[in-house]
Amino acid sequence: MSATRSIALSLVAGAIAVTTACKKQETPATDTTTPAAVAPAPDSAAKAAAPAAPAINDAQIAHIAVTANAIDSAAGELAKKKGTSKAVKDFAKTMVTDHAGVNKQAVALATKLNVTPEDNDTSKQLKAGGDANIANLQGLTGAAFDKAYIDHEVEYHQAVLDALDKTLIPNAQNADLKALLVKVRPAFASHLEMAKGIQSSGAAATAK
Amino acid sequence: MAIALGCFAGAVAACSRPVPRSHTVTIQNFAFVPAELTVAAGDTVVWSNKDIVPHSATARDAAWDSKPIDANAAWRGVAPARGRHDYYCVLHPNMKATLVVR
Repeated sequence: MSATRSIALSLVAGAIAVTTACKKQETPATDTTTPAAVAPAPDSAAKAAAPAAPAINDAQIAHIAVTANAIDSAAGELAKKKGTSKAVKDFAKTMVTDHAGVNKQAVALATKLNVTPEDNDTSKQLKAGGDANIANLQGLTGAAFDKAYIDHEVEYHQAVLDALDKTLIPNAQNADLKALLVKVRPAFASHLEMAKGIQSSGAAATAK
Repeated sequence: MAIALGCFAGAVAACSRPVPRSHTVTIQNFAFVPAELTVAAGDTVVWSNKDIVPHSATARDAAWDSKPIDANAAWRGVAPARGRHDYYCVLHPNMKATLVVR
């Protein structure tokens, strides 16, 4: 699904673009710089990115963390209602519970550090992708809904994991923030594994 | 543990039952630690959830079910019948572990 592919790309590329905030984004894209996991830009403006590690600040990282959780919670709430198979509904319930738990930690830390999450291009792109996913899912029912939901969850969690590993964790300045991101990583890894399991077992397409 | 040897058949009358011990399985980073724990029948096992989301410890053979344990909470169970009991987290079925009861 091209929408989700562009999320995967833009999550990483966007984090890089954030740092070049003063630079216009219309620079001809000669190099996506994104690692092997991500395909060349399908549609969204390919971000010209320097090969060097980007400098995204902690306030932006905090905003991305909160945004990423909110997006998966919203999709999970929808799937709790519209999901068909037991596997999908159970997965959705876990997404809602887990992302609430993770978000609680993120907000608590931001409060403790007196950091106000700062909106940024990556968050915006994530949100746009999330909204597009919800809109798409709202038009689906039954096995088609389940499949679209789970397929998106796989791509989404992979993209967030990549961003955690390549951008957010390496660039976190505050030690507590970095520690929280590291602590949160297993949740995303587990969610990805669970979603892939449902995807490959075909359970999404079977009412159990 | 030597205590787990208990009484042998034909042992002297003074032999006594092993004192039940308490063991802890820590749930952290979406894993049960240790992944395999050996205990004696009658021992207590505490599942301590040090993670940031709820998890359960649910035996596949229905020998026990902690139901979801909140973050920073714990659940205490008594070791069930002897044997290998595979268990998992109902919320995250890819989290697996084994309790061996001797």
